[in-house]
Amino acid sequence: MMICENCKERPASVILTRESMGEAIELQLCEKCAFQAQTLHVDPNQEPLSIQQFLSHWFGGAELFQAQQPQEAAHQGSECPTCGLTFLKFLDVGKFGCATCYDTFRGQLPRVLGKLHNGHAMHKGKIPVSFNKIYAVKKKIEAIRVKMQEAVEAERFEEAAALRDEANALKVRLADGGGESHVD
Amino acid sequence: MSIENFMQNAVTGWMAAHGEHSDIVMSTRIRLARNLRSYRFPIAFTEEESMAVDSAVSGALLDSEGGTYSYMKMADLPALERHVLVEKHLISPQLANPDRPGSVILSEDETVSVMVNEEDHIRIQCIYPGLQLKGAYKQADAVDDVLEKELSYAFDEDFGYLTSCPSNTGSGMRASVMMHLPALTMTKQINRIIPAISRLGIVVRGSYGEGSEAPGNVYQVSNQTTLGKTEQEILADLGNITERLIAHERKSRELLLAKSRIALENRLFRSLGTITYARLLPSSEAARCLSDVRLGIDLDIIHDVDMSILNELLIFMQPGFLQQYADGELTQEEMDICRAKLFRERLNVERASASSEGTEER
Repeated sequence: MMICENCKERPASVILTRESMGEAIELQLCEKCAFQAQTLHVDPNQEPLSIQQFLSHWFGGAELFQAQQPQEAAHQGSECPTCGLTFLKFLDVGKFGCATCYDTFRGQLPRVLGKLHNGHAMHKGKIPVSFNKIYAVKKKIEAIRVKMQEAVEAERFEEAAALRDEANALKVRLADGGGESHVD
Repeated sequence: MSIENFMQNAVTGWMAAHGEHSDIVMSTRIRLARNLRSYRFPIAFTEEESMAVDSAVSGALLDSEGGTYSYMKMADLPALERHVLVEKHLISPQLANPDRPGSVILSEDETVSVMVNEEDHIRIQCIYPGLQLKGAYKQADAVDDVLEKELSYAFDEDFGYLTSCPSNTGSGMRASVMMHLPALTMTKQINRIIPAISRLGIVVRGSYGEGSEAPGNVYQVSNQTTLGKTEQEILADLGNITERLIAHERKSRELLLAKSRIALENRLFRSLGTITYARLLPSSEAARCLSDVRLGIDLDIIHDVDMSILNELLIFMQPGFLQQYADGELTQEEMDICRAKLFRERLNVERASASSEGTEER
């Protein structure tokens, strides 16, 4: 197994090349050092990380992405204030450095996530209660509304009425706890 | 070490051959990836941050679920023990790297393992025997709830749970089912099925992950996408595909029996002979023979071997376990000798009551 040339500790999993005085220099690095290396770019013929390979396939790698969208160049230069990752480097390494990265690159992410997740870029699943109780209640009301609609269409009016009461009760809770004033 | 003692220490919950469709589905695994809001992800964090994450996560779990969990730091474990945890599928090979500041929190019965500071801060993993997608998810979800009560997760209204790798963003959930599909493999149908399934957002791989072959005809079937579907939808889709694969496999088995029973019986009994009497047993041969014997039991052709022993042997035939059993490092050839010895002992112990032949203790 190759050992990372930078930290000499972890196994190397990324091969980075860079031009120096007209010569290509190749570096075998671990993910962590590749993440921290600032001015490197990826050799397209390298043995790839799967996600990294995926991203460079779809976006033609960092260079192509830059070439395709010069108007966004300024934005792509923006650096995550928490971990220092840039979008171009994200395309190289294929990993985010922290939660703030998702905010920093919010504009480009639907495109990246859509490619990885069959066109989906919006979360539909579990929500941590602690994250936002109000948001969870809102989602629940939405779900009840869908069920209510189904019940009405199937002429199960008793069930629909029960669901309406349930939704209203949640709305009252929202108004009490979350400063939302409208209860219709 | 006597084989009975060794096995007692080494057997873990998911190896028991029960649960739904346990003749074809060996185990079900749910993994949830989570991160803490206030610390950078493991690829970018400092040593101080790694220690803070470690104590926050272990504190949250050990305090609320006291007693039932034990905590192990990777750097404190001998290499062989880390290796054995990987072979039991309780931790990932990445976590086992002692240069990473990782640790694992294990439940007593080893069905729950929480990896700390792997690619993400937290990876909750539950393994159950047989096909138990809902049960395994319920357990993982409960552990998630316990942690969430104490910890502030990195979560976004649009993107869901924020993970280090964009392929896990959203639910952070990877659900996988380990399936034994010998008849689909023998009849080469699996080669047509795998690409068809991948179009449905489900991946089929060899049991040791991406790009690996399927030793012992064991395949790992799991969801590829984690964003845009609820956990229940992901589980339902995976469950559906799994049930269809089971039906296909059963049909192929019937066909094999109807068309070439003697040839099949010949192959299965020869494999039983090999694992019972061989003196040198390379791992590829051991995996192939175990698959055959398992099929023999399923088809009611082989009667005097217990299925759960086969699950154990599939794990114990690996290098970490063999070296732990032999209590020292082994060369390739020594490994093949030790594997054969372990198989003979295990199978003979179980058959000792049926025949007068004793075990081969040295």
